[in-house]
Amino acid sequence: MYKYISYVWLMLLVLVAQIFLLDNISIHLWLRPMIFPLVVLLLPMEWRTLWVMLIALLTGVVMDLSLGGAGLYVASLLPVAMLRSTLMYLATNRVVEASDQTSLLSRLSLKQLMLYLTLAMLVHHALFFFLETLSLAHFLRLMATIIFSTLLSMVVAWPIVRLFVGKVLGR
Amino acid sequence: MQRLLEFIKQIYVVFIFLILEGVALWCYATSTPYTEAKILSRTSAMGGAVSGMVTEVHHFFALPEKNRELTARVAHLEEVLASRIEDDGIDVDSLTRMMNVRTELVYRYYPARVVSVTTSKMRNYIVIDRGEDDGIAPNMGVITPDRALVGYIVSCSPRYSVVMPILNEKFRIGGCLVDNNYTGSVRWSGASTHHVDLLDLSTYADPEIGMAVEVRSERLPEGILIGHIDDYEYNATQTAYKARLHLAVDVSRLDNVIVVENSHYGEIEGLMESVD
Repeated sequence: MYKYISYVWLMLLVLVAQIFLLDNISIHLWLRPMIFPLVVLLLPMEWRTLWVMLIALLTGVVMDLSLGGAGLYVASLLPVAMLRSTLMYLATNRVVEASDQTSLLSRLSLKQLMLYLTLAMLVHHALFFFLETLSLAHFLRLMATIIFSTLLSMVVAWPIVRLFVGKVLGR
Repeated sequence: MQRLLEFIKQIYVVFIFLILEGVALWCYATSTPYTEAKILSRTSAMGGAVSGMVTEVHHFFALPEKNRELTARVAHLEEVLASRIEDDGIDVDSLTRMMNVRTELVYRYYPARVVSVTTSKMRNYIVIDRGEDDGIAPNMGVITPDRALVGYIVSCSPRYSVVMPILNEKFRIGGCLVDNNYTGSVRWSGASTHHVDLLDLSTYADPEIGMAVEVRSERLPEGILIGHIDDYEYNATQTAYKARLHLAVDVSRLDNVIVVENSHYGEIEGLMESVD
């Protein structure tokens, strides 16, 4: 039960930080930190994809309603929820088993965890920024925005990830 | 039903994902005029490309049917042309007309498809998908839609016929030089599937490389091409020319053919036998 309440707290913390803090900070045109995908990415890997997708939908709807995304946040977050297991396999070569007793996230090394989150963030940011611009006319600028924003998002998100994984998942 | 349920069970998550993603994209697309215009232009381009590909594939698979239709059309036109020539008397020599000798031949054309063909033996044969039920009979000529000689019918069943092609050591037909009407006998030596020999060509024929050789036979109308002269030389006794012809037809790639019936063939054959 404690674990599930922790997930709710994580969700609230990340969404509040994103909506009221990060989205109001204007660092550079190419730098837009987005940490809300953590809500989906840190969910237990053993969960059924359907539940993960519904939480992604809820998160996306909150973001869209709060920031006027009109579906953009949902559209960029749902594929990440759908591809979570695949991204985990690509990043860590680990397959998620439904029968796992302990959380896969807690068994990953820090390097593997970072690799998985970075890859997932990169996919999310690529989808988000492409949908936002809907154009490849300024391809290099788009790529730079995706890469630098992903790196910045990871820098901002990493302390939260360490804290959550350490305290809640008991690494 | 069980399998269908299993299948649905396997893909329902993907299905739900596609619906949710579609709804989200639709909401986003219709949120501002910019996104609407951008997404609509992309989907239109994609839809157009997919539609184009589907049409291309459809056309590709419809080609055999189109080929058959065209071959049938060619056969019909050949028939119409032949009847007009007969009516107008265009190709009838005025002298024979004056002598009131009936020499016009009546030709009928039947489109057919090649079922099987051999080219690796000394006695090659072709099977076509038309037989006695379609009016096909032995000794009818067989040509390509572009009027090149293939061979003639040697045997028929109700639905199929066997053609002896020009690539058969037993095949014989008369061939004449288009430029000067000198005739010879065409045979296949078996040396090449693209060449036949024109034998017993008069020493006055004056053949040239590239000269066209057409069929001269009671089975087929005029203007059926056999091939072009690739090479020629005197025969062993220096009494005639022997020419090597490059065939107009590639027997190994035959698909659609036309069977030609000369309705006067039986009469001509009977006449020849009575003379012999």
